[in-house]
This record gives sequence, C-alpha cells and structure tokens, in this order.
Amino acid sequence: MAEFAVVGSSAPRLDGLEKATGRAVYVDDMTRPGLLHGAVLRSAYAHARIVAIDTAAALALPGVHCVLTGEDFPHRYGAFVQDEVALARDRVRYVGEPVAVLAAETPALARQAAALIAVDYEELPAVMTPEEALAPDAPLVHADFAGYARRVAVPLPPNVCAATTISEGDVDAAFAGCDVVVEGTYRTQAQVHCYLEPCGALAEADAAGKVTIWSSCQSVFRVQATVAEILGLPMARIRAVAAKVGGAFGGKSDVTVQPLAAALALRTRRPVRLVLTRDDDFMMMRTRHPATVWMKTGAMADGRLVARAARLTLDGGAYAEDSSAVLGFALLIARGPYRIEHVRMEGRVAYTNRLRAAGFRGYGNPQVTFAGECQIDEIAARLGRDPLDLRLQNAVRAGDDWVGGQRIEACGLVDCLERLRAALPPAAPGRGIGVACVAHISGILSTSAIVRVLEDGTVTLSTGAVDLGEGADTVLAQICAETLGLPLDRINYAVPDTDGSPYNWSTGGSRVTYMVGRAVTAAAGQARDRLFGHAAEMLECAAGDLELRPGGRVGIAGVPGPEITFRDISARAHWAVGGPIIGSASVMFEGGGFDPKRSAVTGNGIGKLGAFVFGAQAAEVEVDAVTGRIAVSRLWAAHDVGRAINPTAVAGQIAGGVAQGLGYALYEDLRFDGPNPANPTLMDYKVPGATEMPEIIPIIVEHPEPSGPFGAKGIGEPPLVPVAPAIANAVAALHGVRLRTLPLTPERVLAALDEA
Amino acid sequence: MTAVAYHRPACLDDALALLAADEDARPLAGGQTLVPMLNLDLLAPTAIVSLADLADLRGIAALADGSIRIGAMETHARIAASRIFAAGQALVPRAAGHIASPAIRNFGTIGGACAHGDPVSDWPVALVAADARIEIAGPAGRRGVAAADFFLGFLTTALEPGEIVTAIVVPPVPGRAIHLRYSRIDSDYATVIVAGAADIRDGICRSVRLAVGACGPVPVRLAAVEDLLTGRPLEPALVAAAGRMLAEAIDPLDDVRGSAAYRRRILPGLVARALAGVA
Amino acid sequence: MTARLTVNGRPCDLPEQGTATLLDLLRDQLMLTGAKRGCNYGVCGTCSVLIDGMLGRACLTLAADCAGRSVTTVEALDADGSPDPIQRCLVEAGAVQCGFCTPAMVLAARALLDANPRPSRAEIVAAISGNICRCSGYGAIVEAIAAAAHG
Repeated sequence: MAEFAVVGSSAPRLDGLEKATGRAVYVDDMTRPGLLHGAVLRSAYAHARIVAIDTAAALALPGVHCVLTGEDFPHRYGAFVQDEVALARDRVRYVGEPVAVLAAETPALARQAAALIAVDYEELPAVMTPEEALAPDAPLVHADFAGYARRVAVPLPPNVCAATTISEGDVDAAFAGCDVVVEGTYRTQAQVHCYLEPCGALAEADAAGKVTIWSSCQSVFRVQATVAEILGLPMARIRAVAAKVGGAFGGKSDVTVQPLAAALALRTRRPVRLVLTRDDDFMMMRTRHPATVWMKTGAMADGRLVARAARLTLDGGAYAEDSSAVLGFALLIARGPYRIEHVRMEGRVAYTNRLRAAGFRGYGNPQVTFAGECQIDEIAARLGRDPLDLRLQNAVRAGDDWVGGQRIEACGLVDCLERLRAALPPAAPGRGIGVACVAHISGILSTSAIVRVLEDGTVTLSTGAVDLGEGADTVLAQICAETLGLPLDRINYAVPDTDGSPYNWSTGGSRVTYMVGRAVTAAAGQARDRLFGHAAEMLECAAGDLELRPGGRVGIAGVPGPEITFRDISARAHWAVGGPIIGSASVMFEGGGFDPKRSAVTGNGIGKLGAFVFGAQAAEVEVDAVTGRIAVSRLWAAHDVGRAINPTAVAGQIAGGVAQGLGYALYEDLRFDGPNPANPTLMDYKVPGATEMPEIIPIIVEHPEPSGPFGAKGIGEPPLVPVAPAIANAVAALHGVRLRTLPLTPERVLAALDEA
Repeated sequence: MTAVAYHRPACLDDALALLAADEDARPLAGGQTLVPMLNLDLLAPTAIVSLADLADLRGIAALADGSIRIGAMETHARIAASRIFAAGQALVPRAAGHIASPAIRNFGTIGGACAHGDPVSDWPVALVAADARIEIAGPAGRRGVAAADFFLGFLTTALEPGEIVTAIVVPPVPGRAIHLRYSRIDSDYATVIVAGAADIRDGICRSVRLAVGACGPVPVRLAAVEDLLTGRPLEPALVAAAGRMLAEAIDPLDDVRGSAAYRRRILPGLVARALAGVA
Repeated sequence: MTARLTVNGRPCDLPEQGTATLLDLLRDQLMLTGAKRGCNYGVCGTCSVLIDGMLGRACLTLAADCAGRSVTTVEALDADGSPDPIQRCLVEAGAVQCGFCTPAMVLAARALLDANPRPSRAEIVAAISGNICRCSGYGAIVEAIAAAAHG
C-alpha cells in the first residue's frame, strides 16, 4: 500500500517478543512485598437461602488474615438491572456463585481455609431453563426484582430481565403476499469463553485508602467504575491498571474478581492476589447466551426477500448483566445484511439458576445469524436458486439503511460474495460447500486519546484501550505514527491506567480500531498542528505551507531545503515557548439510532451503535457416514474491514474468530446435569486443537469507511458469526438435511441422516 | 499445610515395604493422573513413593516365546516408538500413540495408566484385545493377572492394597493390528475404541479378536463374535451382525462424549471400518 | 541419586513439600513465570517445559521427581540475548496474540525441531496438538514453526 508508510504494513505486534520470550507479565506473574493470596468459596446449590455462614474455623487457621461474606458487600450493581452483588447475600442463585472470599499467606492455605467455611443452606426450588423459568407459578430467581433499579423500565413478566420488540413495515401483510415462506426454530448453546488465562486481580491499598488494582480486564475504566460502585467509594479512590491479558473475548468485559481483591486489600492492608483456578473460572464466570430462535422469512418467486419475523428467547442465567444490550443488538441485527423491508423482531431474556450469560464475541449475533443464514439457504432450496447468488441479489449496498434508519455509509458485502465465489472450488463428490454472511457493528459509546510529544521528538500515545491479544496497541500506534509521519519505533504505547490514561469505554464491540483509532487520528492531528505552529514561527512561514517529512521532520511544501526536526520543535516548546506539545481528542459514536417514524421499538436497551461491517464465508465439509462427524476441510472468510491498518493482524482476527466459530459450530457446549454444570473442565469441555483446524483462507476486502481512521473499521467479532450457518448449509447442500441445533454434534448429524 | 513425604526407593522391595508400612502412601509412576488429582485436592496421601528408580520396571523386551514384556514405568511415547511388536501386537504401540497429547505421552506410563483403571482410557481395551497379562508385585509376593480379569470397573482393578503393577506381557497376536479410536476431537478421551487384530486373506477371516472400549465399566470382548467371524468370508451382513452383537453387549453411559444410544448406533459401522482396514 | 535438579543449567534444591509440582517450583520459588498455570491439570498445555529435552507438563510433574534431571524453561531460550529463531518466527508470522500459550508453544516447537529438524506440516500439527491456543486458529503458529525449520 504505497499511499501510506506505516498504515497497511504488517508491523509485528509491539509486545510480540516480550510474550514469546515468556517475559510478559500477567496478573498471576505479579508479586508485591507482603503479598497475600485469595481464594473463593462457591455455592453448591443452584438456589438456596443462606441461613448462616460460620467462618470461625477458617479464621482460626494460622496465616488466614480475613474472610469476607455477602454482608461485607451491601451495594447492588448492574449496568441495566441492579441485581448483582459481589458475593451472594441471603441467597445463592447458581451452583458456583461466590459465597465467601478470604486472604491467607499462601495459595494452598487459602484453599484449605475456604474448605473450612461452613455454610448452612436452605435449598429452594430452582429453574434451570427458560421453559421452566417462564412457566406459570415458577419459582422466582429474584424475588425482589420489582425493587431493583432498572435502566429500561418497561413492565416485565416474572423471571424476565429484559424484553424488546423492534418492527418495521407490515410483516403479516408482507408474508401473505410471499411466494415462499420458510419457518423454523433454531437452538444454540452455552459457549464458554475459555480464555487461556483464568480471571485474576492483584489489589493493594495505600495508607490513605486508595486502592490500586492490576487485573486481567477489557477496560480499566469499567473496573474503576464498577469497583467504586460495589465498594461505595469515590472513583478517585480507585486506580485500575491493565496487566497483560491472556485472552478475554467478552468474558472480562465486566468485573470478575477485582471487587473481591480490592475489598480484601482494604480490609487486610496488605496486597492481595486473587487468581481463579480453572474450575472456579468455569463455575463462577460466564457463557454466551443459549438461545431459542423462532424465525420466519418470506420471499417472492424472483428471489426478492421481503419479510422476516423472529421470536428470540435468551437464557440470561442468574444475573442480568449486559443481557438487555445483547438482546437489543441480536434483534437489530437479526434481519441480516439484506434488503428486507418488513421485519418484526421480538425477544426476551429469562433469568435461570445458571451461571450468568454475558457478552461473548458476536454479542447475540451468532445466535440470530445461525437462524437467519440457514433460512436464506432454505429459501434458495425452495426456489431452486444458488444460495450465493440469492444473497448477492438481496445484499445491502452502501447508501442503504439498516433497521432503525441508520445509513450504511460503506459496504463491501457484494465484493465479499464475489471474491468468495471466485475463490471457491468446483463441486466435488462427497464434499459440500455452504455459504453464510454476517453484518455486525463497529463502534459504541465514547473514547479518547492523548498524544504527547516528548523532549526528543518521540511520542507517547495514551488511549486507555486494553490490548487483549488482538494487537490493538500496535494498530493504534501505527495510526499515530502515520498521522505524524514517524516510524513505528518512535511511538510509545502507554499501559492503560486510570491514573494517567484518557477514558475508553472498553475493548469490545469490534470498536478499538474504529473508535479509538478516530480519537488517535484526531489527537495526533492536533499534535501535528501544534508542531506546525512552532515550525511556522521557526521557519518564518505560514503553517498552511508546511508538510511532514519522514522520520519526524517538518519542511515547507514544495521547497526541498530547510527543515526542522520534531526534537528541535519539542525542545523549543518544552524550554522556551508555549509549553509541552500535547494533542488530545474525545470521540462519541453519534451516528443514527432509531428513527421513530420508521421503527416501532419497545423495551430497547441499546442506543447508537456504530459503523456497519460485513463479511461472507464459505465452508467445505465432509460427513463421516458411520459416525456423523463433520470434518471441515477449508473455510474461506471474506471480510470488509474498510482498510486493513495491519493486514497480518486482520488475518489473525479472522483466523482466530473462525476457530472459535468452529468450536461453537461443532464442539463447545456447557451442558447441565440437573443444577450442576456437566462438563466444567477442559477435559470434558473441548475447544478445538491444532488437529481440528481446517485450512482457513482469509480474504480481506477494503471499502473505506468515511468516518474511520484511514477508512478502517472493526474485525474483532464478525469472523466468528457465520461459521456455524456456513457449516450447516454445507451439510444441507451435501445431504439435504437441515440441522437447527448447535453444536452440530456427530450424534445430531447422524440422527438427521437417519431420518432423511 | 500437612507435609507430605516423598520417597524414592532404589529397589522394588524397598518400594513395596514403604507402601506396606503406610496404607495412605501412594505410588507415583509418571504422575500424569496422580498429580492432577493432587492438584485438585481429590487425593490427600501421607506420602509419595516414586517408582522412578526401579530398574525392574523398565525396558521393552522380547521373551523367548515371542511375547513382549513392557516394564510398568515405560512411557506411552517409548512404547509407541518401539518397533519390537510383531504382527497383531502392533495394536499396543498404536494405542500408545493415540493417548492424550505428546507431552503426556512423554511421561505417562503404561503401569500407572493400568493401575488407575479408567475405562475411557486407551490401555484397558487394547490390553484386553491383546490378551495381555498384568504382572503385579505386592506384600504377598508376585502374581500375574489376565487383562480381562484385571480391569474390573470404573477406577477399579484387581490390585490389592500395597500392590503395584510391575510389567505388562503381550503374547504373540496373529494377524494385522486393529486400533480404531473415535473421539470428539483428537486430544479428547475416546467416545468408542475398537481394538484387536485379524488375519484376513482372500476375504476369509482366518482369525480375529475384537474388543470395545470406552463403552462401559470394562472393555467388552465376545467369544461369540470372534467365533461368528472366524473361518467365514467377511460379507457385509456377517460383519453387521457381529457389530450388532457387540453393540448389544456394551454398557455405555450417556455423557458429554455421546449418548449410550449413539455409541450403540455407531459401533457396528466402526467395527466394519476396523475390519475393512485390515482386509 | 542426587537431591537436586538443574533448571536452565543451574542446580536447584528440591522443595520440602513432597506434593509440590515442578510448576510450583518454577513459578513460586524460582520466579520463572514463563510457564503459565492455565488449568493445573495437564490439558491446556501452557505450563509445558523441557525435561531432559522432552516436552512435559510442569503441572503434572512433581518437583521431587525431577531430581537428577535437567529442566529447560522458555527463559533459557534467549538467555544469550538473542531470541530463538522459533520466537522470532512466531512474532513475524503474527502467531502471537494474547501470548498466554506462546512460551509453551515455543518449547513444543523446540522439542520437535531438536528431534526432527525438517518436520512436515502434519508433524508440526501433531507436535502442538496438546497445546491449546484460543486466539490464533493455529495456522500462523504452524507456519512460524515451519519457517523456523526451513528458513
């Protein structure tokens, strides 16, 4: 990409060698003088009243410093429904819920002490599925629900924490006029994030009572705000710092153990490290929302899609957390990337006595896209049309509107499909090929950036964006370097730290490249303008006549001779005129939300979202006739990223997303045996290994997004989304059987083949 | 924390004496199963008796009658790499080569795996198929037990308190080795294992042995199936009948690796595939 | 028999607790934190180290059982200041994302290339088949190991 020096180059990630040599410091690698170790006691019941907790035996062990229970955490919290507590109080609502936490001299002692805490429970009837939860006279997961503060205050039935409808046009009339209508119910499962690094935090309080929390998190600012809320402290007394993060995928978006570690540190006046065991993490943390999706799609004989309706029931688990937003986004995106005029999307989230469901790469999209993209193929089959061709006919284009009315400014979907078609091999016996598309958003909420020019003319970039492994720090540094005409090695990317970094909502929503990148472009642009202001005085010319030259120099456009360096300018600013050069910028996504003249919306938990992103994938599969096992041999993934700031990083996001999508499609499923997770270990819950990987062929499509930094937009989530429907469609193409339940286990495949 | 002693005896008699003296002492072979159980607080031994220095428990060697003696402390990786196994005996290195993952195979031992007696693991079915003998030493002396009589149920073996496995002896096995392992993903425990050997020439089955693993508390091997197939042309209907007999005989659980019905459903097809692989 | 083991060429005393694992020793006593504790029961692979040159799980190995043996951790691979070619290739191929699996992947690859300097793609896949990576989809890791072998 000759037009840019740094943008478009596959610069190796900034911390690559640090990680490859084992020197990168994750929370569990950190220590402090006087460090204590935390351990958590988990609930053994899905639903029970806590009658009494006896901590005496644990406290009596020499070396145990403090035991905390729910009584020590009086404040409720929650982004949409204030239903959460840091430790169970009065009631436990799922097997694995933290009931007590303690600090001791060694990890082994902490674990031993936790086992000595005696809890007297009175078991209550539990609801383990949305069907049970929504049945008449079902036991209530939250008996006090009416008293909780809620952000979206619409009336809700019992055991429902969110309910939303979005509709446009006249769906019933449109279906009546359709030549082909397909209808079905699709079921998806609880996928576990399975980041390789279990959740952890290290907290330390200073003499004045200010707590510093190093943790594995997606946002130091959410940690700061939520811990302050939970502990009832001003945010100014909480400092959150990002350690290296060993994967997150949405699972570390909200607080995990930070409030517990902070409370222990405040109580003991000693630094406390609390890192979950893998068992704890499986039992206490989060999954993707299991979903039941009834969907109906109608088309005309000429292939034109005209109507889609869906009813979505999500299993939210015991606490609402982000369920409102996951539901709202799922319903918004359920139309799919097609020009469908009439839609009615309805959904609700049920409370159940299972561990909470939360954001997970895709955020409600994989569930509805599995249904929607299967139905496109079902319609194609009914019409005798090529599925890829039918998608091309109906694909949204730049200038179209999404549900709600927001304009799609840039759209490479047609290009993705065309590139896919060109890449696909001819049909071969025994092999099926299936296609699926994805639309997603890249954006959400606010962020900011600060660019400081140091005395020697090199630059420190602060954004508050935590790198979870995707390479955001590298990409943002590239954007900064490009804007200032500097080589990448002159940019220092500051570790996110609420004491020094400017606000960033979170690393999530496929937003960092697009949103934080915009802030970096603006902040670096401001720094450049200030450099030019000095340079104009130094070179005695107008600032408008200046240009950046490679390597941190400024000269007069069209005049090869005189130039001055950033070092000279910054020295002048620091020591003589004006003071240090700092550029800063704040950004909020302010694109379209819902146009009330167009859409009827109730109970909506989401606002203005972001730029739309698109992709299309194809999977090539074989099915073992004896076992029903699906083998995916190749997977082509075409994604429009606006512009690839770092093509290798983009390809890495595509391959990694596809791998998780493959796990979701074929293997991963946290099952329950009564109230207990049936397979909460890496022995029994299997994520794909190297042996399971198909050949993944990334196809990067670039239709620049006008508002994006150098035209870029996000790629974090979309690659996971279409994998499952592409595989299901491939199986249908091969054998004519339609699988509507994930994961597509050999057992389900074989049952379908037996029936056919 | 209670201190746990670690002993590393230099000879078998010392090891047996240490185990006899303390019924809560645990013998340590490769550790690939014992240590995670310690880490998960599933075991609380008073002492660990490492078998690492016992020379008697090492070596893979051919005996005069064509049997292969495998020392209990031999690792899966060394067994998998060994070329000493002849004809149908090769099902033993094939089984070894599929266990878990490379790092586990480098340290996990056949003796440790046998003593653990997990019916979903790879050794019980292979050793039953191979008619192997498990050699045991303990306070009452030494004895040998046929594999079919050694694996008694879920984590249950014929080992008495204080006894350890010292060696596995694999007799000559005619025909070509069969080892078909079906699992959700490569590094998972098996959903179904078919192990054995068959001598099939010109479509006629001269001899056959078939054992099914991971489908119940113990490996299943049926004389009736082997009699049915032996001496006959392997027509699809005959093979299917053999598969059905095995499917009826297994006693699998419903678990995350598949339902009992699914295991029964796929077993005949896997048996046919296994036999076709050696025809 | 000796009561010591060697870690990265230096002799090292055994811990007193008989059930202490090699991973406990490395991380808690020797502060060699390149080996990670991803599951502590041998499945994730992030604690992999070389024991007498063989890939092994530090979490499944009692430290005491390593007496007389030589343990190599990731920290030894660039002890001379120059990264192992595998480490450079992983970074260049974009095979490092969150990095939690990476040190163990480096050692799995080192064990492979020491035994088999020109592995096939299938041999590379088999060699890392017990090391979970949740970020990369493995393709870039396989390419990087191939590049280190052939480049």
